Amino acid sequence: MSGEDQQARVEADGAVGALAASGVPVRPGADRDAVGGVVPRWVAEPADADGCAAVAAAAARDGLALVPRGAGTKIGWGAPLRRCDVVLDVSALNRVDHAAGDLVVEAGAGTPVEDLADVLGASGQRLPVDPVVPGSTVGGVVATGLSGPGRMLYGPVRDLILGMTVVRADGVAASSGGRVVKNVAGYDLGKLHAGALGTLGIITSVTFRLRPVPPAAHTVSARADDPARARELVASVQRSHTAPTAIEVDRPAAGAVTVHVLLEGPKDGIRARADEVSSLLPGSSVSEDLPEGWGELPGGPGDTLLKLTSPPARLPAVLDALAEAAPDAGPLPVRGSAGSGVLFSALPSATDPVNAVRAVASLRARVEEATGGHGSLTVLDAPRPVHDAGLDPWGTVPGLPLMRSIKKNLDPDGVLSPGRFAGGI
Amino acid sequence: MRERAIRDRSDESPHDRSTTDPAGAAHGRADRADRLSALVPRLKRICGGDGVITDASRRRTYESDGLTYHAEVPGVVVLPTTAEQVAEVLGLCAAEGVPFVPRGAGTGLSAGALPRTDGVLVTTSRMRRVIEVDPDNECAVVQPGVANLDITRAAAPYGYYYAPDPSSQQVCSVGGNIAENSGGAHCLKYGFTVNHVLGLQIATPQGGLVRLGGKAPEAPGYDLIGAFIGSEGTLGIATEATVRLVRTPQKVTTLLAAFTGMDAGGEAVSSVVAEGVLPAAVEMMDALSIEAAEAAVACDYPEGAGAVLIVELDGPAADVDADAAMVRRLCERAGAFEIREASGAAERARIWKGRKSAFAAVGRISPAYIVQDGVVPRTALGEVLGDIARLSAESGIRVANVFHAGDGNLHPLVLFDDAEPGAGERAAEVSGAILDLCIRHGGSITGEHGVGVDKACSMPRMFTPQDLETMDLFRRAFDPAGVANPEKLLPTPRLCGEVPGVRKDVHPLVAEGRAEQF
Amino acid sequence: MTESAKSADGTEGAEGAENGAGTAERPFPDLLSDCVHCGFCLPTCPTYVLWGEEMDSPRGRIHLMGQAEDEGVFTDASVGHFDNCLGCLACVTACPSGVAYDALIETTRARVEEEHERPRAERLIRSAIFSLFPYRRRLGLMRGPLRAYQASGLAKPLRSSGVLERVSPSVAAMERMAPPIKGKVPALPERVPAAGRRRAVVGMLTGCVQGAFFPQVNTATARVLASEGCEVVIPKGQGCCGALSSHSGRAEEAARFAEETVRTFEKAGVESVVVNSAGCGGTMKHYGRVLREAGRPDDLVRRAEALSAKVVDFSEYLAELGPRAERHPLPVKAAYHDACHLSHGQGVTAEPRDLLRSIPDLEVADLPNPEICCGSAGVYNLLNPEPAAELGTRKADDVASTKASLLVAGNPGCSLQIAATMRERGEEIAVAHTAQVLDASIRGLPPSALV
Repeated sequence: MSGEDQQARVEADGAVGALAASGVPVRPGADRDAVGGVVPRWVAEPADADGCAAVAAAAARDGLALVPRGAGTKIGWGAPLRRCDVVLDVSALNRVDHAAGDLVVEAGAGTPVEDLADVLGASGQRLPVDPVVPGSTVGGVVATGLSGPGRMLYGPVRDLILGMTVVRADGVAASSGGRVVKNVAGYDLGKLHAGALGTLGIITSVTFRLRPVPPAAHTVSARADDPARARELVASVQRSHTAPTAIEVDRPAAGAVTVHVLLEGPKDGIRARADEVSSLLPGSSVSEDLPEGWGELPGGPGDTLLKLTSPPARLPAVLDALAEAAPDAGPLPVRGSAGSGVLFSALPSATDPVNAVRAVASLRARVEEATGGHGSLTVLDAPRPVHDAGLDPWGTVPGLPLMRSIKKNLDPDGVLSPGRFAGGI
Repeated sequence: MRERAIRDRSDESPHDRSTTDPAGAAHGRADRADRLSALVPRLKRICGGDGVITDASRRRTYESDGLTYHAEVPGVVVLPTTAEQVAEVLGLCAAEGVPFVPRGAGTGLSAGALPRTDGVLVTTSRMRRVIEVDPDNECAVVQPGVANLDITRAAAPYGYYYAPDPSSQQVCSVGGNIAENSGGAHCLKYGFTVNHVLGLQIATPQGGLVRLGGKAPEAPGYDLIGAFIGSEGTLGIATEATVRLVRTPQKVTTLLAAFTGMDAGGEAVSSVVAEGVLPAAVEMMDALSIEAAEAAVACDYPEGAGAVLIVELDGPAADVDADAAMVRRLCERAGAFEIREASGAAERARIWKGRKSAFAAVGRISPAYIVQDGVVPRTALGEVLGDIARLSAESGIRVANVFHAGDGNLHPLVLFDDAEPGAGERAAEVSGAILDLCIRHGGSITGEHGVGVDKACSMPRMFTPQDLETMDLFRRAFDPAGVANPEKLLPTPRLCGEVPGVRKDVHPLVAEGRAEQF
Repeated sequence: MTESAKSADGTEGAEGAENGAGTAERPFPDLLSDCVHCGFCLPTCPTYVLWGEEMDSPRGRIHLMGQAEDEGVFTDASVGHFDNCLGCLACVTACPSGVAYDALIETTRARVEEEHERPRAERLIRSAIFSLFPYRRRLGLMRGPLRAYQASGLAKPLRSSGVLERVSPSVAAMERMAPPIKGKVPALPERVPAAGRRRAVVGMLTGCVQGAFFPQVNTATARVLASEGCEVVIPKGQGCCGALSSHSGRAEEAARFAEETVRTFEKAGVESVVVNSAGCGGTMKHYGRVLREAGRPDDLVRRAEALSAKVVDFSEYLAELGPRAERHPLPVKAAYHDACHLSHGQGVTAEPRDLLRSIPDLEVADLPNPEICCGSAGVYNLLNPEPAAELGTRKADDVASTKASLLVAGNPGCSLQIAATMRERGEEIAVAHTAQVLDASIRGLPPSALV
C-alpha cells in the first residue's frame, strides 16, 4: 500500500485526524492483526516510546480503544475484548541496555526474549525467565506474567523486575522503580503491570535484575506411579539440601507422571547434588540436557489453556481432578512447577464449547475445594466459541473492587484493552 | 541523636494543609480535636478500654519511630488485637475523615510511622501470634506484629527459615517489613519481603478486610500483593501474612578479607561478580567504621585494615566449598593481606559482630550521627566513595562507610558533634549531597529505609512529576479520602514547598482535586 | 577477668555488664541521650512481651524519664510504668548503644520515692515488705510459723477461698511464694578451712533471703568452695547487702546496708567476696554508685568501689579457679535458668553452664526465651503480683517444655517463683542452686539427693 493510499484510508474513517496527528505511521488493520477474532481499525507502529505516548494521547482524545502488541504470540489471552480500535505495535521498541557489571538490563518492550538472551549470554549472564512461548517479546512476557520452571528458585517474572516505564491511557509516560537492584523509593508499579494484560498501561521498557549463567546443569527425572507418589518424590527433594532450581511434573494426556528436578551450580558440586536427588527418586535417570518439552505449555493450537495454582502439598488432588475433568476428553495433559504449585493444562480443541465451559466450572470448584480455597483456576486462552458459550475465564477474584478502582484511576475511560481482564476490566 | 523537628499541628492554620490531606484541610483545629475526642468512646468499644491510649504522657512515648529527628504526638493510640478491630478502626477513621498512621515495632528509619496530632496511631504490637507453620507447603501464617526473627524461630524445628533479615530482625515486625519492603544483608541472593509473601489480609483505608493470595502462588487478578508491599502504610494495614519459608542451607561459610584500602576491596567484589559467584551477602566497612566497631565490641578485625570485606556463601556444601575457594583466590588476587574463613555458627557470629554493631558503635566515636541510605549501581561504588571522601574532606565532617557492596546500597554514617553550633546543619548538607551523588549515578534515594516523611521531599529528584502523579493516582485507588498515612512517601507542598514542573494536560482526578499534581 | 576482656570473648551479656560501671560520673540527661530509640530492647522486656505497649518497654520508659526531666514532675501514669519495670536488665544486654538503663531506672526510682506521693495502701505494703525482707532475723522468726502453717493443711482451703486475693493481691502472692520450710539447718561457722592445699581465702555473703529460707544453699556453697581448696570466711553479723532496697528506689536504706556490708568485709581481709545470689552480686558490683547516689563522702565511695572489685559470683569464681575436686556422675536432666541479675546484670551465662556440663552424666537443657525474666525480680512479685504471675506461667511453660526433672538457677527468688507456679499447676519440679548440684556431685550423692 502506498503512502497516499494509506492517507486516503485514514481520511475516510472518522478517527482520522487524531491518530495522524501523532506523527506515527498508522495503517488499517488486517485479518492477521485480529485480536481474539476482532480486526482492529488501525495498527500504529511507533518507532519509540515517545511515539507510543503520542499514539495513546491521540487515541485518548477520541476515546479509541487501544491494545498493545509485541510479537502477538499471546494476543488473544484473557476474555474477549469489548472494543479494539487501535493495535499499538511496540516491535520497534527493542533497545537493550545491558549493565553487565551491575547484573542489570533495561530492554524495550518489543525486544524478542531470544535476542535479549543472546546479548546477555555474551557476558555470561541471563534473565532467568524460561521461554515458555517461543517468539515472545519482553513486553508480552511481562504483560502476561508468564513464568516457567525456574520460578521455583528465581521467582516469577515479576520478581525480577526492577523498574518499568509505561505509557498511561492518557498518553503520559511514567516510570517507577529504578535501575539498581535495591530500591524502595515509591510504589513498585511494575508489579501491577506484570500480568495485567495491558489493561493499566502500555509497557515501553522494563529493567530486570540478572543472574550469572550457572557453569553446570543436570536434570534428574523419574516416573511416579500416581499423583500421590509424585508428591512424595517432590517433597523428598524439597526437604533435601540440594537447592534445586526447578521441580516439574509432566503428565501427557493418558500418560504417567514424570518428575523432573533441575539442578544448576558450580561444576564441582553438581554431580554430588544430582546423585543425592537421584537417590531420592527411585529408578531415576540423570541428564545434562533438559527433557523434551521443558517448560512448554501443554496442549496445542485451539485448545483451551488452563492455569491452576495450589499449595504444593495439594498437588495430588489437583492432578486427580485434572484426570477426571473432562470425561469425554480423557485425562488432560499437565505440566508445571510441582515445587511452587503452578500447573498448566489444556482442554483439547475438539471439546464441545458447552462441555468445555462446564468442565472449567466443575474443575475450578474442585480445585478450590481441594485446596481449601487457596488454589485457583484461570483460563489463559480459549477459542472464541468457548468464550461465547459462557466461559468465565477468571472465577472469583478477591480484591476485585480494589482492582476496579485502580483501573478507574489509571484509565478512567476504559480504553486500554477493555474487557480482557478479571471482572470485565 | 539529631536535634528534633517536633511538630505540633495544632499551631497551624488549616490553610497550610496540603490537598493530599482533605481530612485535615476541611476542618479547623478545634474541629479536628473535637472529632478525635468524639472518636475515643467508639474506639474503646472496638478495641476495649485498655486498647486505647489517651493519656498525654503515654501518647508521647509514641511520638517517633526509629528516626527521632521527626516527632509528633499522636492524637490517640489504639492497640487492636484482631484484623476485624483494625478494619473497624479504619472504617471509623474513613467515616469521620480522621487520618490514621500504622505502626509496628516503631523501628523504621524514615519516619514512616510518624504519628499525627490530628489522627489515630494504629499499633499492631498486640497482634503477634504465629498462627501456623506449614512446612509441607513451605509457608507460615502470621499476624503483623510478629517479629521477623520469630518466624525463623518458629520454623527452625522443621529445618526452615524466613529469608528477609533486616538488621533489626529480632525487633521489627512483619507488618512493618511489608510496609517497607524490607531486605537485609542477604537480599542480594534472596530478594526482599515482596519476594517472600504469598498472601495477605489487608484492612483497607475504607474499612474493608480483603484477602489477597494465600498458600498458593500467583493469585488471579492484578498483583495487589506486589503493589501493597513497600507502600509504607499508605494503602492500608496488613492484618495477616502468609510468608514463604526457605529450607535452611546445608552449609554457610563466611569469609572475612582485609585490604589496605577500599579500592582493592571493591576490585575483589567486582571480580566475584564477574566470575558468576552469587554470594548470600557481600558487606564492606571502611577504616573509620572498623575503628568504631573495635571500640564498641572489640571485634578483633585484622590490624591495619583500611577495608574489610565480608562475603557469605550458603547452599549445598559442595557448591559452597567451590565458591569459597574461588572467592578466596579472587580476594588474594585483589590484594587481601589476611583472609579468615568460618563455617561454625559461633565463628561466623564473630566475623559478623563488627559489621552488625557498626551503626550503634559509631556512637562510641562520635556524639551524634546521621545514617544515610542510598543506592548506586555497584560498578559506580569506587567513584562514589571517592566523591564521598572529597565531600568529607571539604566539609571537615567525618563520614564512616558501611555498605552492602553486592548491591551498591550505601549506608554512610555522617558524624558530627551536636554540641557544636552549626555542625548538625553541615552534617545534614553532607548527607544530602551524598544522596545527590546517588541520583547522579542513576541510583536511588533509598535502598531499604523507605521514603516516609524523611525523604518525601527528595522524591522529585528521582522521579518526574508524571511519575509521581501516576503513583498518586494509584494511591487514591486505595485511599480516595486521603486518610491513610498522609504526607508520607509522596511529596506535598506543605512539607516540601511547590514542586517545580509544568504540566499542560491535567488528569481528570487532578482536575477534580482528588489527586495531586506534582 | 576484666569487663572488657569479657566482651572480647563474645559473650552477649558482657557488653551489658560493663554499662553500669564507669557511667557514674555522667549526668542523668547524658545517660538518657545515649538512647537512639532503635527499639532493640523491646522483645527482651518482660512487660512489653506481656502487653505490647511502648510505655511499658525500656525505650518507652526512657522516654517517660525524659519527659519527667523536661517537665520536672512525675505523672501518676509514668510512675505506674516505672513500677511495672522488673529491673531484669535484659534491655541492657540487648542495647547496641550501651544505654545504662540500670543506672537510669535506679536513679528514677529513687527520685520517685523522694518526689512522688503514693496512695496510702501502696505505702503500707511497701513499708511492710521493706521492714521484713532485708532483715534475716525477722525473716528467721517467720520460719517457725510458716512451717506450722504449711504443715497444717490450711494452705489449700485458704488459697481456694480467694480471701487473701481480696484482702491484698500482694499478701496473697507472699503466701503463694513462701518457700517450703524444711527442718533446721545448722548454722555455718565463721571460718571453713580449705580441703587439702589452700588455694585462696575468700569471703562469702550469706544474704538475707538466702540465709533465712535457703540456708542449705549457703552450706553447699561453702562446702564446694572448701573442696576446691578455698578457705571460706563468713563474717558474723553480716546483713542484707542492700540490693532489694536499691532496686526499689530506697536509696538511703540501700546505702546504709551497703555501708555496713563494706565495713564487714573490709574487716574480713579476703581476696574475693563470693556471692551466690545473683541479685546481691549485681548490686555489690556497683556499690560505688549506690553510695554516690545517696550522697556519701568520696572516701567511702572509693572504699565501696574497692570492695566491688573483689565481688564475684559463685560460678564466675569457680570457672576462673578451675576444678580440683573430683566430680562424680549425676545422671539428671537439668534445665538451667538464667537469673536476670546474673546474665543481664553481671554478664555471667557461660560459666554456670560450663560448671554443670563438667559433671559426668548430667544433661543441661537450655530454656526457650532464656532472656525473659521469670517475674520474680526481687520483691516485684509481691508488689506487682499479676504480671509476675503471668511471667511465671510463661517461664513454667518453657521449663516444662524441656522435660527436665531439675531446675537449676543462680538466684533464690527465681527458683521460688518458678517452682511455686509449677506446683500450682501440679507439675512438681525439683529446684537447686548451681552450688547444690556441684556439692552433690563432689560428694558423690545420688540424684535422689536433688530430685
